[in-house]
Amino acid sequence: MDIAAGLLQGFAVALQPANLLWCFVGVLLGTVVGIMPGLGPPATIAMLLPITALMNPAGAMIMLAGIYYGAKYGGSTTSILLNVPGESASVVTCLDGYAMARKGRAGAALGIAAIASFIAGTVGVLGLMLVAPPLARFALAFSAPEYFALMAFGLSMVVLLAGRSMAKALLAMLVGLWIAGIGTDLFTSTSRFTFGRMELLSGIDFVVVAIGIFAIGEVLANLEAREEPQLLPVPKGLRNLLPTMQDLRDCRFAFAQGSVIGFLVGVLPGAGSTIASFISYGVEKAFSRRREEFGSGVIEGVAAPEGANNSETGGALVPLLTLGIPGSGTTAILLAALVLWGFRPGPLFIAENPNLFWGLVASMYIGNVMLLILNLPLVPLFAQVLRTPVYVLYPLILGVSIVGIYASSGSLFDLMLLSGFGLFGYLMRKLDYPSAPLILGLVLGGAMERALRQSLMMSEGSLTILVSRPISAVMLSFALLILLVPLFSRFNSWRLRALEQKD
Amino acid sequence: MRSRSPDFWSGLALAALGGYIVMQARGWDYATEDGPGPGFFPLWYGLGILACAAFLVFFGKDSPADWRGAGRALATWAVLAACIAALKFVGFAISFAALTFFIVAVMYRRPPGVAALVALGVVAGFYLVFPLALGVALP
Amino acid sequence: MKIFPALVTALVATQAQAFTPTRPIEVVVHTGPGGGSDLLARAAVLIIEKEKLAPVRMQVVNKPGGGSTLAAAYLFEKKGDPHTIGFFTGVWLTSPITTAEAKVTLRDLTPIARLVLEPAVIAVKADAPYKTLGDFVAVAKKNPGQLKQSGGSVTSRDNVVRQLLQKSSGARWAFISFPGGGERISALLGGHVNMMVIEPSEAGEHIRAGNMRVLAQVSEKRLAGFPNAPTLKEAGFDVPSVPQVRGVVAPPGIAADNVAYWEDIFRKLTRTASWRKFLEDNQFEDGYQNATELARFYDEFTSQMRGILQEAGVKIVR
Repeated sequence: MDIAAGLLQGFAVALQPANLLWCFVGVLLGTVVGIMPGLGPPATIAMLLPITALMNPAGAMIMLAGIYYGAKYGGSTTSILLNVPGESASVVTCLDGYAMARKGRAGAALGIAAIASFIAGTVGVLGLMLVAPPLARFALAFSAPEYFALMAFGLSMVVLLAGRSMAKALLAMLVGLWIAGIGTDLFTSTSRFTFGRMELLSGIDFVVVAIGIFAIGEVLANLEAREEPQLLPVPKGLRNLLPTMQDLRDCRFAFAQGSVIGFLVGVLPGAGSTIASFISYGVEKAFSRRREEFGSGVIEGVAAPEGANNSETGGALVPLLTLGIPGSGTTAILLAALVLWGFRPGPLFIAENPNLFWGLVASMYIGNVMLLILNLPLVPLFAQVLRTPVYVLYPLILGVSIVGIYASSGSLFDLMLLSGFGLFGYLMRKLDYPSAPLILGLVLGGAMERALRQSLMMSEGSLTILVSRPISAVMLSFALLILLVPLFSRFNSWRLRALEQKD
Repeated sequence: MRSRSPDFWSGLALAALGGYIVMQARGWDYATEDGPGPGFFPLWYGLGILACAAFLVFFGKDSPADWRGAGRALATWAVLAACIAALKFVGFAISFAALTFFIVAVMYRRPPGVAALVALGVVAGFYLVFPLALGVALP
Repeated sequence: MKIFPALVTALVATQAQAFTPTRPIEVVVHTGPGGGSDLLARAAVLIIEKEKLAPVRMQVVNKPGGGSTLAAAYLFEKKGDPHTIGFFTGVWLTSPITTAEAKVTLRDLTPIARLVLEPAVIAVKADAPYKTLGDFVAVAKKNPGQLKQSGGSVTSRDNVVRQLLQKSSGARWAFISFPGGGERISALLGGHVNMMVIEPSEAGEHIRAGNMRVLAQVSEKRLAGFPNAPTLKEAGFDVPSVPQVRGVVAPPGIAADNVAYWEDIFRKLTRTASWRKFLEDNQFEDGYQNATELARFYDEFTSQMRGILQEAGVKIVR
């Protein structure tokens, strides 16, 4: 069925009142879930599965998808206002988003996050609609060597996140790699660094580390000051409550590359929105004229990752709907849901269920619009959160973190890990260690090790497999280029200084 | 002797971690017939940690960290850890109320009345939102 | 006195009155919501409630973590509790063998029933040059270590099948672990590996679309969905069957009538038409065994696994 006809049919399905309602419920729930640190779309969708069995499949799918991409909108709110990542992908938004809030521009940050999410989300849906089947086949060409190259590319971003001390950034990243390695080794079933505790057998959940280091570490660090009635300057005036035209102009590149990178990364099974946001942030920083300011509150540093993590949801649906292969935790549960409702996701799914597919696509357009309408006016409201006296806010943050983690894992051991990482995050702040590289190492470490070992198994021990395949060779060269960027800029400043001295 | 800056101590601690990792890694297979074994990656990043930590110890900055407020932060952390440990025995309401009370009263020197009010309000809020409205269990 | 034994028997008889649950039942699974065990447990609970086999509600409780270790430990701690049961799968049986931290074995708990056997098929990409399993093995024999299979962890059934086939044929090929089913399938469809062992339900759609082809099936009898694929034995490979099992287990230290009660419910479950339909839809095989048979199966299975894993080079701890 050709695209225009399909889309029209899809809108006919999506605009039915019942489905509109489900769409709204889904995006609203998604936003709420995204705001809550610790609770994420996979757990929420799974909890709702029994209910969806009683609904009509189109409406149910629309709602679940709404939760999926709605959560990406909500995740940025707490990241910006409180330096607490609401969703694992929002970790990157904390970097510049919170810095902007510190400077009184919380409103602009929130606004640009919503706008970038909308643009990228729409691009993601467009991609799903237009290029899904050929792209899915391209994704099949990706296997372990390409993943390794992708991860190496991501890790090379540490160079861009380094800040003052490269040694400390590297240390943070390596510690992140170590934490990622805790657990059972997939290939040999050996337990690594589990200290004999069975709770560590499946490793430490990323969310526990992120919330511990960011949220709890931040609260502890702030508790040092005795009197601080308000957390942050409340944005005054319209200029700071919403992004300005200048802001929007600055973010042009971020909107574009965030959408594209997020979508492409999403298509790859196994690569998630956290990786997408890191890469988008890194690329933005690499190409930006004011790259030194990143980390201190640059608006593109919010727009890029936020866009990427939204278009990633569109991308992740590509392998699910065109091949029946789930690309991430959430899409795996969506797959289970489809099976539960009696569908058989696979290469023939779209052809056999055009109403469901096109209805879903149309609803995603609608959902994105709904989210924009929901989120933008709420920005000034959210910014007022900053008015709460700190002694109410901090316990709230601590409490929500605890409840959020417990809700998704039900484990008291995880809560103990949470407090441990909280202390660790506090110490990192005091000792001036950057936390972004640690998160980067944690997210990419496990996947990178797996990809390397899988590649070497495929090539029977020969490393050349990494460069003999075109895609991985290209990405490895990108990684190398990124590593050379600081050298270039240093070389450039020598050159400029030398030129100045000559005059 | 060079001054004991935070870089020095943290470098030392991380070097110890690196050493531990390397030791553990040597207990596992470095390479099996099917490819790198479980010891491969840890060995390398353990060595990396050792190298960077050593760099810090010898070439790190000397500026001392500002430890003035640390006592408050650490005390709060201790209370947080204690409350989490207590969750199993007294449940969420009591331990979290205790934590809130501590933060408000001790950290911010607000009168105990205010502290108690905030503590109760916050706990009530949690109970309203989570188990009732969202159906999420509290510890 | 003759009355005494009579009294005793009478007392015992009244004690052995059928146990009936009085509180909602906790059904523990080791996967998160949406995982294999979770779906099976929910389906079973749904059918039990539909057929009114139990007087109380049953609630599925997810205890993921460490493979099966956290769920098993949780059940172990519920010693003597008559209102908790759990669903186990193969990983519950194998992890105590290889993982020191997995201290709770099925023997430490109370076996109730074995419910299903999950068959698998051996699949290759549709345009692969192998027409039968024999072709694949022959090529592997000529080029040791060059052909590749994608699968799960080294203790998974995928690798067990590989070990058994390698042992019986003398061929050798590489095994590449991928943590997710999606990645394994992409590896095969993308041409990065040559073969995989896959559940029929997962493979169904790809076969229908013409991207995958089945060489043989790993089961005792031919499955309804694959009338043309030979079983391993029919293909000429006389390997012992090491099935992927799922069943029910209960905490240790529960009363005999409690065990009998559970046994009874699950026996009735497997006889209902809804259960048969469920098995058919998911392409499972009915592998019902009662508690005693399950205990015996457990002993045989674990000693078999120990041998296989040792040959595979996995460290055995128990």
